[in-house]
This record gives sequence, structure tokens and C-alpha cells, in this order.
Amino acid sequence: MTAVVTDPGKRVDDDSGELNVAVLKRNARNEVWGLLGLCSPSLFLVGLIIILPVGWLFWLSLYDENGMLSFVNYERFVEQSSYVKTFVTTFEVSFGVTAICILLGYPLAYMLSQIPRRAASICMILVILPFWTSVLVRTYAWLVILQRKGLVNDWLIDLGIINQPLALVNNFTGVLIGMTHIMLPFLVLPLYASMKSISADYQRAGMNLGAGPVATFWQIFFPLSLPGLAAGVVITFVLCLGFFVTPALMGGGKVIMWAMRMQQTTSLYANWGAGSALGVLLLAVTFGLLGFFNWLLRGQIKAAWGGK
Amino acid sequence: MSVVLSAPPISIRKIVKRFGSQDVLKDLDLNVAPGEFLTLLGPSGSGKTTLLMILAGFVRANSGSIKIGPDEVITMPPHKRNIGMVFQNYALFPHMNVFNNIAFPLKQRRVDKATIARQVEQALHQVQLDGYADRRVDQLSGGQRQRVALARAIVFEPRIVLMDEPLSALDKSLREHMQIELRSLHRRLGMTTVYVTHDQREAITMSDRIAVMNNGCIEQLDKPEILYSTPKTQFVAGFIGESNFTPVDCRDGVAWYEGRQIETRSQVPHAGQHWLVSRPEKVRVADGVNGDRGNFFTGSVREIVYQGDSFICYATLRDGQVMALRDYCRSDVLSRLPAAGEPIHLRIDAEDAAIVQAES
Amino acid sequence: MGKVKLAGIFALAGATLAMAGAAHAEGTITVASFGGTYQEAETKAFFDPVAKELGITIKQDTTNGLDDVRLQVTGNAVKWDIAEMGADECARGTKEGLFEKLDYNVIKSDGINPQLVKDDWVGISYTSVVLIYRTDVFKDGNGPKSWQDFWDVKKFPGRRALGAFPTESLMVAALADGVPMDKFYPLDIDRAVKSLEKIKPNIDVWWSSGAQALQLVKDGEVDMASIWNGRATTLKTEGAPVAFSYDNGVFTADCMVIPKGSKNKDLAMKALARFVSPDLQANLPMLGANGPVNEKAFDTGKIPADKLPSINSSPENMKHEVLLDPVFWGEHQVEASEKFDNLIQE
Repeated sequence: MTAVVTDPGKRVDDDSGELNVAVLKRNARNEVWGLLGLCSPSLFLVGLIIILPVGWLFWLSLYDENGMLSFVNYERFVEQSSYVKTFVTTFEVSFGVTAICILLGYPLAYMLSQIPRRAASICMILVILPFWTSVLVRTYAWLVILQRKGLVNDWLIDLGIINQPLALVNNFTGVLIGMTHIMLPFLVLPLYASMKSISADYQRAGMNLGAGPVATFWQIFFPLSLPGLAAGVVITFVLCLGFFVTPALMGGGKVIMWAMRMQQTTSLYANWGAGSALGVLLLAVTFGLLGFFNWLLRGQIKAAWGGK
Repeated sequence: MSVVLSAPPISIRKIVKRFGSQDVLKDLDLNVAPGEFLTLLGPSGSGKTTLLMILAGFVRANSGSIKIGPDEVITMPPHKRNIGMVFQNYALFPHMNVFNNIAFPLKQRRVDKATIARQVEQALHQVQLDGYADRRVDQLSGGQRQRVALARAIVFEPRIVLMDEPLSALDKSLREHMQIELRSLHRRLGMTTVYVTHDQREAITMSDRIAVMNNGCIEQLDKPEILYSTPKTQFVAGFIGESNFTPVDCRDGVAWYEGRQIETRSQVPHAGQHWLVSRPEKVRVADGVNGDRGNFFTGSVREIVYQGDSFICYATLRDGQVMALRDYCRSDVLSRLPAAGEPIHLRIDAEDAAIVQAES
Repeated sequence: MGKVKLAGIFALAGATLAMAGAAHAEGTITVASFGGTYQEAETKAFFDPVAKELGITIKQDTTNGLDDVRLQVTGNAVKWDIAEMGADECARGTKEGLFEKLDYNVIKSDGINPQLVKDDWVGISYTSVVLIYRTDVFKDGNGPKSWQDFWDVKKFPGRRALGAFPTESLMVAALADGVPMDKFYPLDIDRAVKSLEKIKPNIDVWWSSGAQALQLVKDGEVDMASIWNGRATTLKTEGAPVAFSYDNGVFTADCMVIPKGSKNKDLAMKALARFVSPDLQANLPMLGANGPVNEKAFDTGKIPADKLPSINSSPENMKHEVLLDPVFWGEHQVEASEKFDNLIQE
């Protein structure tokens, strides 16, 4: 070892006592640039395939079919009652599907989070299994199962539970069933992950302190699972808003959602702008709604998460 | 907060717990006296935590009985047992502030608001956290969380308090401080307490009695000083404190080492080779091998390790066994200490010589 | 020296490529149609014979109609030389200027309905929208025969489906309301919408694809429906308990265009001329459900007399069908669609 013995009275460095300032600063800056460089491909992609097209979409929506700057693509939403109705339907379906997914998915995720990991993995595969089949195939399968002379109605009639077949498909009910089937994993997966991270000690502590199983669930487990539920709900809801195939096939032409109108509008008015306007409106309303959810949920979670 | 007037005894009978084919607890019996501070001490996997979980009702035993006072509780769900518990990681509810955490058990018992406010305040006072009621849990330090957990476990005046390694997450100095606080809190409130730890020093510092557990059984249940001075098994001797194990031959209730009879207060097994257990600090340097009382050993100094206030001297006996000696670095001691490689004579008094049966 | 050599290789490669490209372009055109059994029939009736005759290669692709052509033309990426679409789409595409002018010195239009012979598009085949019903529900020929019957929910109770296509369904609605076939145009769209409004509560499904309509009838999800004659014929051939006729039908034409910017315009023109010629047109009804657009096909002697009743464009069947006028509907498409959507989604 070569010890540098410095006379405390004498200054070795001219840098007023601060050593290697410039180099250290440069190292820090290089680190930042390095990180930025690492994520620049993805940033570039996001810019290229999301921000740019969406901006372009917005720009296009301001032109009519003759290429003149106008609001005609937006005026249509007010003039044609069908757009309002489509809009309402889109949100009705999305709310409905999300609500059913919560009712079905929450207990499912809870069950999965409480059983041993091995059993949970097997059940999880069953939950994810539908992902391996195309949406189209699943939707057709539902048609076969739910139609007037389908499996469900046949069984119910054979069992003497009903006399007339139930209208389970080609209507709002059909869309709810088909979409719930597709959306359920999107709610269950984030919810399960967040439930799994809730330590069993919290529930033990709740019971130990005198709360029965029901009280422990509602006062301890449920509030702790809310952030995961919120994540699942937002994913499910937003995906629902853009659904095309399932409502088109299972709604019997009566449940028309926004994405279906985009395609139809673009074709009818021979003009990208017409369809773009629908996209812009949906994007704006979705953002607005997400903001509202966020605000509402934060309030809810905060309320459930204490304060006196 | 009032002192628990009639802290009940706990009577644990023939508890059996199996996880799959593995026996975690084997016919375990244990009595905890009213108001006693009893520690379950053992290495991980010894079954101490499982026993605590069964006491609290979180784990179902395969068979057995647990009585708190006259009441059988093993069939009761956990929320009806009225047992306070402090968890290893405190398990403070992150979505509640300090007040609501401590008020939680009172709310479950439908206590009126004014009483809750008063009792929470008292509990916070007990753990010296006055004025912390409105803090969020994540704003607290480890020690403060520990105190909140403690306050929550005692605020509803449970008859029994269980603690699962409650101090293991704290740093050393805070841990030692909390040990003393816990002890004085127990003395003030007098609730029957079962404490789980793997830290033998903590167990010795705090407990009225210690149950040393190994492989799902209680190896020895005694007061700390007896446990230390007179370990009954090789495991206990090895687990608690530092020990010299010297092989001795036992014949007809008398132990022999190199033709000398060992003076001991322990019960000596009838036959076979067993262990003489001695604590290094009880071993002393002798001038020769003859004296009026005590056991004498001869060897040579192998190494002397200085530790500031004290030293450890490792001596190799004639049969190759190593015996350690610990003493303070006083001049009178050091002056009698031979240098490394030189011969040394060691003495152990009869009171400090325990004979334990060798494990088969 | 190395550089020179390399440049030489590149030049050679470039020349080879250019030559290959030229040879390739000379004898090849790409035709896009609607796929499925219909395009198979077209292949045998038109594409294969013409390819042989002209000594060229006809490549095939599938299309969804006007939207795809618009995308190629406005995007300057025209890869089709001939594209098929509905006649009303053609009329709209004309207004947008998406097609090349057709040379009627090359293409002989005799025998084709003048409504389907325009500057830049020409009819290729006929499709009908017919009323189909299940004979296991309506037994002994007591099913709905006309659109008036379809609209009569008391006399003919049962589940119903109509196409979610404004033009076709509004025409059907007009017929149901008693608009005479010979004075069909100019159609009072509002009258048709009102008529549609009457039946709307009893429509269980508005179908949006031929496959869907077929499935609905096949599975008994509905008891009666409007359906394209191709699908109706398939159902019948498969042995499904159904009946339909060309009485009281709505009649639409498919047409072909040369998308603006086609690189093989002249060759495409020659091929198209052959597609619409009577002798090749006469092949079509023998291979599928779509009728020939050129009525001279019936004079070629290729089509046997007993086949005539099942061909939607046979002179006899044509009398009972009303044509979807491409020009009228091209002009009123937006109005009709908006009114139709507002009604359906009310």
C-alpha cells in the first residue's frame, strides 16, 4: 500500500479542497444519458406508433371529405341521434361487463389467493386458458351455446325449468356474457397479484383482535385489495370501450358499440376524418372518465384506508 | 389501564401437529402459570412458532387440548379466544392510522366511542407514544411500530398475550431497550405471556421460565439461571450459552475423567460415555492439579484471544479435547496465565460441572 | 479494381431485376373479388379461361369492396388491376374519382342493363336479396311469400332477421309497404324508413355478414330472414328445411372497376371485356348462385332450360325483382345510412 501522507498544513490540491468534482459530475451525467439511451428505442416506438398516429387522427378529424377545415365530423354526433345512442350503449356495456367481472372475478381472485400456491397455479391456468383461443372462436362458441336452440336452452327446457327458450344471445345479454368471458382474466390477474401480496398476518391480526371472518374480510382484506381491484377495473373498462368482434357478433346488430361505428362511419363518409372524430371523442371521454375514476377511487381508497 | 387481576394459567396437553408426513409437534405438554412470562426458545423448525399459532388459533392442531383457566379453547375460532398477539412484522394495518389500529379490537367489541378514545390514549401512554394517534403507520420508525403493535395487543386487556419474535426486526441497542420495557410492562400489567424467540440471550433476560424446544418437543423447562447452570440435555447445553463438552465415563452413578472422579451436583447416568458440560467463565486457572475441592484438568495453551474487557483461552487437554476459559483482563488473572504452548492447569467447581447424557 | 468489379455486379443485378420485373408485368394482372365460393365460381367461369386465352397470369386477391380500393388509390399503392364491389359502391367511387375510365371499344356492353354500364365501371354479376323461411316452422308451403307477409307478424309469428345494410333493407321495407316495382325510383326514403320502423320491434337480429345470415337460419335462431341468394342456395343444397323464391326479390349487381393508377390498365381492359362477354358470363350460373349480368348469356345455348328458374337473373325471374339502382343509392347512401342507423339504434 502506498499511503499518501499529507501534511495537514499544506494543500495538495488546488481545487479548494474538492477533489475530482468535474469527473464525478460527468459520470453522473453519463449515467443519466445511458439510462435514457436504453429506453430510447421504446420511447421512439411509443412516439411512432402511438403519439404520432393519435395526433394525426386528431388532425384528420378536423377536415371534411373535401379536405376543408371544418367541424362537420363532430357536428354529426349532435345531429344524428344514433351516435348518442351508440355512445350510451358503449358505456352501458362497458360498465355492465366491468360490474359483472367484479362480481365474478373478486371471489375468484380471493379464492386463488387463499389456496395453496400449487392449486392456485392450476386454477390460474384455467383462468388464462381462454387467452389461448381467438376471440372470434370463443364468440362463435358462445353463439352455439346460447342461441335459441343451443345447449343452454335445450338443457333448461329438458329439465323443465323453462317452457320458452330464453333470449340469451343476439341482444344486450349476449354481449354481456361474451365480453365478460373475454374480460374476466384482465380483472382477475392484477387483482390476484395484489391479493397475493397481502400478508396473511393482517388477517390473522384482525381475527386475533376480535374480528370474525366477515369483519376481518371487510375491514382488513377488502380495503387492502382495493388498489389491485382499481387496476383491474380500469384495464377491463378501457378494453371494453374499444371492443368490436364480440358485440358485432353477439349483439344481433342491436348492440352497436363505438368501435363498430368507427369502421362504419369511415366507410360511409369516405373520409378518415369522420372515423377519426369518433376516435378522438372516445379518447377524450375515456381520459375524462379515467380521471374521474382516479379521483373517485382515490377518495374511496383514502376513506377505506383510514382517517378517523 | 388496570392490571389484569386474574391472569389465568394455560394448560397445554398432548398437542400433536403434523404437516403432511412431518411431525411438527409431538404430544407436547406445557403449563404456563398465571401471570408468568414464559419463553419458547429453540432453533427454527423446532415447532415453537407452530405452537404459538395453535395457541392463537391460526393453525389447527391434529389433537390435544389447550385450556385457558377452566376453558377449553382449542376448538374456539381465533376471534373468540381473547388473546393479545404481537406479530414478528407487527402486522399493523397499513390502511389505518395509529389510533384506528389500536382502536380496532375495541371497535370489534362494540365499546363506546368515548371509552375507545380513553383506552387508546392510555395504551399509547403505556408504550410511551403519547400524541402519535394521528400518525400513519408508514410514518413510524421500527421501534415505534413495535410499540403500536404492543399497545394494540394489550388495549383490550386480554388475559393472555402472545409474542412472536417481536424484537427481531429491531437493531441491537433498540432491542435491548425494548426487552427491558416489555419486561416492566409485563410486571405492571401482569398478563400471562408466551414469548417466542430464537435468541437465547433475549430469553434469559426476559423470562420467568424458558421452555427450550427441539424437534417438536420441550427439552427442558426451567428458570433461566437453572437452565444455564444445569442444562439437562446436550442440546440445551449447546443451545444456551457457550459450553465446553468434555467426555467422561460413567459407572454406577459416578463420572470419571482420566481416573479422577468428577465432582458434580448433577444426576450422573449409570453407564456409558457422557458429557461434562462447563461454561468457559466458570473455568479457572489453577496452580496445580491438586486442591481441596473441585475438578482439575491439565493441558497446554493453544491460543489466547483478547476481546478487550475479557479474553478467551483455549487449552488443549491431554486427550486432545479443547476446553475454553474466559475471564476478565485483570492483572491478577493475566499474571497467572501461561503463554501459548505452555502447560496450564484448569479447575471447575462441583456446582459448575454438569453431566448431561450424550445424545444417541 | 475491386470497386469496379463490384459496381459491375450491381449493374448486372439491377438489369436482371428490371428485366424480370418487365417480363413479370407484361403478362400478369391482379384481380380482387369477394372470396369464398363466389370467387371460386368466378375463377372457373372467367379468370382461368381468360388467362389461358390471353396467355397471361391472373393473380387473385380478396377485397371488402370500395373501402379497400379507396385505401389503395388515395395511398398511391394500387396493387389491383381489377377490383369487384357492389354497384352502389361503384357509383360512389365514381364521384370520388377512384377508377380508370373504361374503353367501350374494347368492352362490348351489349346485353348488359344500361344502368350497370357506366364510364368507369361495369356490372359483372347479379345477387338477390330473398325472403327465406324455415319449412319446419311454416309447414305445407304456408310460409311468408312476400315482404308484406314478412311484415305481417300476426299471420306469420316467429323470429325475424334482416340485413343491417341500409339500401337493401330499405328497399325490402318499401316493397313491404306496397311501393310498386315499376315505379320504384325515385324512392321516398322516408316512406321506407317508416315501413321499417313498423317491423323493427319484431326484428331479432340485424345480420351483418352472409355467413351470419346463413347460420341464423340454419340453427333455427330465426324462423324467417332476408338473405342473399347465394347463401339461400347453399342452405337448400345442404338440406336445411328452408324455402325461398325470387318473387318479390331485391336485386343487386356487383361490378368491376380498374382502380386509378393500375399499372396494367390495357391488359386489365382486355380481361374485363372477356369477363362480361356472353359466352363466359354463361359459365357463371352453372358454377354458383350468382346470375350473369349479360342477358345474352341466355342465348348462348350453354344454359339448359330447366336451370332457368333457379337463376336469379333469368328473364322470367327478373320480372319479379327490383334492381338496386346504383346511381340512386350512390347518391342517397349517406342519407339512407344515417336514417337507418338512427332508426335501428333508437
